[in-house]
Amino acid sequence: MADLNISMTVNGRSVEKTTAANSRLLDFIRNDLNLTGSKEGCGAGECGSCSVFVDGVLVKSCMVPVAKVDGAEIETVEGLAPRRQMTPVQRAFHKTGASQCGYCIPGMVMAATSILRENPQADLQEIKQGLGGNICRCTGYQKIFEAVELARDVINGKVPETALDEDEVGDSFVGANVRRLDAPSKVTGALRYAGDMVVPDMLHMQVLRSPHPHALIKSIDTADAEAIAGVEAVVTAADISGDGEFGVFVHDQPTLAAGKVRYVGEAIAAVAAESEVIAREAVKAIKIEFEELPAVFDPKIAMAEGGPVLHDYAQDNVTYHVPIRKGDTEKGFAEADVIVEQDYDTQPIEHAYLEPEAGLAYEEADGTITVHSPSQNITHHRHALSRILGMPINKVRMIMSPVGGGFGGKEDMHYQGFLALAALKACRPVRYVFTREESIIASAKRHGFKVRYRMGLKNDGRITATEMHMVSDGGAYGCSTEGVMRKSAILAAGPYNIPNVKIDAIGVYTNNTPAGAMRAFGALQSQFTTESHLDICAEKLGLDPFEIRRINMMQNGAITHTKQKLGAVSIGQVLEEAGKVSGWEAGAPIVRGPTRSDLGRDGNREPCTLVPRYTSPETPEEEVA
Amino acid sequence: MLDCDQYLLPQSLDEAFDLIATHGSASQLVAGATDLLPWAREGRAGDVHIPVLIDITRSPDLNGVSKEGNRIRLGAATVFQKFLKDPILREHAPVMPHVAVWFADDQLRQSATIGGNLVNASPAADGTPGLMALDAELVLFSRADGERRVSVTEFPTGPSKSVLRDGELIIAVEFDSASGYGASFEKVGHRRSLVISTVCAATALKLDASGEKFEDVRIALAGVGPVPVRLSECEDALRGKPVTAAVIEAAANLPLDRVQSRTRQDYRREVVVNFVRRGIVDALASVGCDIEPSETRELETANG
Repeated sequence: MADLNISMTVNGRSVEKTTAANSRLLDFIRNDLNLTGSKEGCGAGECGSCSVFVDGVLVKSCMVPVAKVDGAEIETVEGLAPRRQMTPVQRAFHKTGASQCGYCIPGMVMAATSILRENPQADLQEIKQGLGGNICRCTGYQKIFEAVELARDVINGKVPETALDEDEVGDSFVGANVRRLDAPSKVTGALRYAGDMVVPDMLHMQVLRSPHPHALIKSIDTADAEAIAGVEAVVTAADISGDGEFGVFVHDQPTLAAGKVRYVGEAIAAVAAESEVIAREAVKAIKIEFEELPAVFDPKIAMAEGGPVLHDYAQDNVTYHVPIRKGDTEKGFAEADVIVEQDYDTQPIEHAYLEPEAGLAYEEADGTITVHSPSQNITHHRHALSRILGMPINKVRMIMSPVGGGFGGKEDMHYQGFLALAALKACRPVRYVFTREESIIASAKRHGFKVRYRMGLKNDGRITATEMHMVSDGGAYGCSTEGVMRKSAILAAGPYNIPNVKIDAIGVYTNNTPAGAMRAFGALQSQFTTESHLDICAEKLGLDPFEIRRINMMQNGAITHTKQKLGAVSIGQVLEEAGKVSGWEAGAPIVRGPTRSDLGRDGNREPCTLVPRYTSPETPEEEVA
Repeated sequence: MLDCDQYLLPQSLDEAFDLIATHGSASQLVAGATDLLPWAREGRAGDVHIPVLIDITRSPDLNGVSKEGNRIRLGAATVFQKFLKDPILREHAPVMPHVAVWFADDQLRQSATIGGNLVNASPAADGTPGLMALDAELVLFSRADGERRVSVTEFPTGPSKSVLRDGELIIAVEFDSASGYGASFEKVGHRRSLVISTVCAATALKLDASGEKFEDVRIALAGVGPVPVRLSECEDALRGKPVTAAVIEAAANLPLDRVQSRTRQDYRREVVVNFVRRGIVDALASVGCDIEPSETRELETANG
């Protein structure tokens, strides 16, 4: 590959470098200049984490071949303000809390800067349109809009610069507007996520993943891959000296597929090489012979007899079954005036954190293996690593790198094991950064549920019995399924007094992508069905949806369906407040009219949001002279 | 991942053709690169190795906007953001700022070129219906055949297919000034920015001297079939007719079957009717003619 000679001005300094012909501007500034404030979230021009100025114009640097901008003037997030200082835009992001995980924030700061440079008077609509090319998953856009409006008003002298200072905290931090300690490092791009970390002599990892949902691995031949110059280590299941299988509850997941693959995207072999390009080439040189097996993708079919079996220990493909029995549901249904039945399906969901998974592993001089990764469960991962590597726990160090969004998706361990193995085998540090596509294909998802709901009620709305049969798609490996089943079952029937309860939460193996932890850990799926079901029951009984909940809600000191004694129960206050702020008009769903009395017309509800931390002053008197 | 051995930036059209002649099938042309880079990723083309990439955007022949008499010419490497910024284009191509504001996002519009959008020949290309509503002509050039011109309507022949021959480039886009035309662009997709159109519609129209009749109407759609299409039946139904809600409604509801997409045909059919109506109303509003549309069809749907 012929290299390019690039000379440009970056953040006011002249740069002359030789780089690969296929380098994108993002590769050049991150890898050649080590300016890692610009992030790669998607590599496809979608997310805007990589936005930089080229000759004063904001572009997505992942979509720009660096050769195109040879000779240009580049400004990255690191160049917006002098070192250890912040621009009004950055300070405003700090003030309004417009940085949570922080991964999208350098791009957001760049886009906000671009909007205000273009039009220092930009209104909210213009701000929203100007941020249209930047995606955030956890901060939420509201605080970002507030930050840009605050910065605009400070820049224009509409509010004093002191508006950027931290608010005074009175007697209590409760209710006070305090700033995040780590926000300055995020808004300036200084914070290094795992994929930004660089150590001397570092190798790059790429992974061979299964193209089949279910297949036997007849043979793996890595000889050609290992022969490629620049390849320092190829690891497969054969390299695992410890206990190869791990998991949160049941140890069913191999570090690298051993003998069999169970989902498309399962890691089979990993290559550590001098460059990502060489590692990718080596992955293609690994020869694998598969024997495809029948696969199953529907948990209900997976539970039926005679179908494909994923794991020998679970011939029925059931990962975990949580039954809850209270009272006698048959008796409860016999007492009921109406029985309402309904099926519910929820879908698997990808977390889609802006930071794709990444990690850096190296061996210390004393033989300790250190792994940096954005892990949401480092103690568990450390123990799992110790078993996989067959090393004592005091020789395994797990460092949690900044998490660029997780939502539970970085709780189940997937890659840290073979990353550490490769570092040990190569005797060199190894870094592994997922592509967006890899993150989606290989990481655990939210469990999809199929729920059969049956509820008996008296005509006055009292629930006499609840029966929930919940079958959930756990995918190919256990991951967090057991915990998700427990939580979904425990909370399934909701905070309601029901004398007779029968709940089954069944996690099932299928050849789908494994399901794991995701926000609310199973409670969301079961709560969604219960609350939906109560709305349907309210309609059937001609009751107000709030009322049916009040009739059945637990009170202080209630005993839950799993026999936990509760102290204070606040659902009554929650319902009252929710009714008030939503402008609820009492009545059965079937009699609700088309006209909103509070608005005096039909139409959309006024948006109900939390009180903003910053609102632009409306009247000239409020403005600073 | 897109890999290459050489990334070349010819400074003129002549130099570009020299490089094409030298490298032939080992080479590929690059303009904005915003289609090429996402294409060379997992799930699409995967890892792609192209020995020589020839970036043609630096050639002066492919850049610049000029006006000669009533004729406007813009280089094929013109980026979409320019439709929002360039005073000549804003004045004489009034539909294109409406297209541009819906195209990708501010940042990609700084890279993505009009020529690239045409050559990519996506069935859902936003730029193509805009140029169709300008009755644009494309200037194609090759060393073997010299220059030829084709109407933008005849350029795409199917998804990713066009009349472009081997060794031929789009070098410019030409059209008669549409100064004074009302214009609009309607687009629906999964979100506001960075979205491929499920359906989009470009409209350009002119009223007669009295301001009460349609003198000229041009409507083009994309996202409804293998290639973007002009709605000549609707245009004919409007030309010479008074500007009333009833006339617009009749044109929007002409029994056309232009939807030949592979999916969601019923949805698209309904969108097309609504987009023709709204496109005309919005284009009229852009020249200060406010018409309250009658929405009989929507009501029927809601009731039935």
